[in-house]
Amino acid sequence: MFTERFLRDKRGASLTAEERARIEGAIGEVKTIAPRKIIARAGEPLHQSTLLIEGVMSRYLDDRQGLRQLVAIHLPGDFLDLHAFPLKVLDHDVATLTSATVATIPHAELEAITQDMPELTRKLWFATLLDAAIHRAWLFRLGRLDATGRIAHFLCETNARLFSAGLSDGRRFALALTQADLAEICGLTTVHVNRVMRQLREEGLCSFRASLVEIPDPVALAARGEFDPAYLYMETIPDFLSNVKRSRS
Amino acid sequence: MTPDTAGPQPETEPGIATAEGGLVFLEGPDGVAATMTADAAARTGQNLIDAAAVAATQRASDED
Repeated sequence: MFTERFLRDKRGASLTAEERARIEGAIGEVKTIAPRKIIARAGEPLHQSTLLIEGVMSRYLDDRQGLRQLVAIHLPGDFLDLHAFPLKVLDHDVATLTSATVATIPHAELEAITQDMPELTRKLWFATLLDAAIHRAWLFRLGRLDATGRIAHFLCETNARLFSAGLSDGRRFALALTQADLAEICGLTTVHVNRVMRQLREEGLCSFRASLVEIPDPVALAARGEFDPAYLYMETIPDFLSNVKRSRS
Repeated sequence: MTPDTAGPQPETEPGIATAEGGLVFLEGPDGVAATMTADAAARTGQNLIDAAAVAATQRASDED
């Protein structure tokens, strides 16, 4: 089932069997895309949206020098360019970071869903609002946190998102990103990321080796990154995050 | 209307600069996180010292 992870564990937005079947039936194509391939370019008309089934994808913007800022990453279960349904074009590029399997859904099918199934339409809207909530957290991360805090916050967020998708046990998950990817996510140089990762490892907060992230103490890492999972609208806050809240000193 | 806050304020604590692998890492103040070559770091440091001297003069004249 291709939609198994879509809105999984999201507060008040889990799909019913009927809704899941409707989206499954709307899928036009399922394909696997090689790593580091652009699937949508800014400004190009789009007639379909993409549900990520496996792999990691990104949204990004390049500056005039060609230096890249990743403005979002997408994980399995994300309906990653649902925004293009009402907007028809995107203002950024979308690309794979790893090999990715995606399902494409024609906008005509989404249009039919909005006319026939208002509750499912609300849930699709929820998915785009969740993206917006994550964007706000990314702004906070870049605007307020130091280098270590940015990396800690990102890894906590990814851990929680993958936990919701059933792809993390809360302390350990696979993540095939490079230090260059982390640098472009967190607005740091790769050598700075390397240094921060070593610090986190030496402090016993996190290790990231061979595409495997291990977080021995999720609460301590969350405290270091001022991470509060409220913006992820999880149905249930897992035990490993139950004591986590960004607090004002 | 947003809740009343003081908004970002001038930093009163310095950033921390460290050297590693032939590069300089500047951490803070606040959310600053920069990596510089030795030359860029030295010139940035001199720029800060020069600007700080001017700023100190400006404060003194404001208080007169």
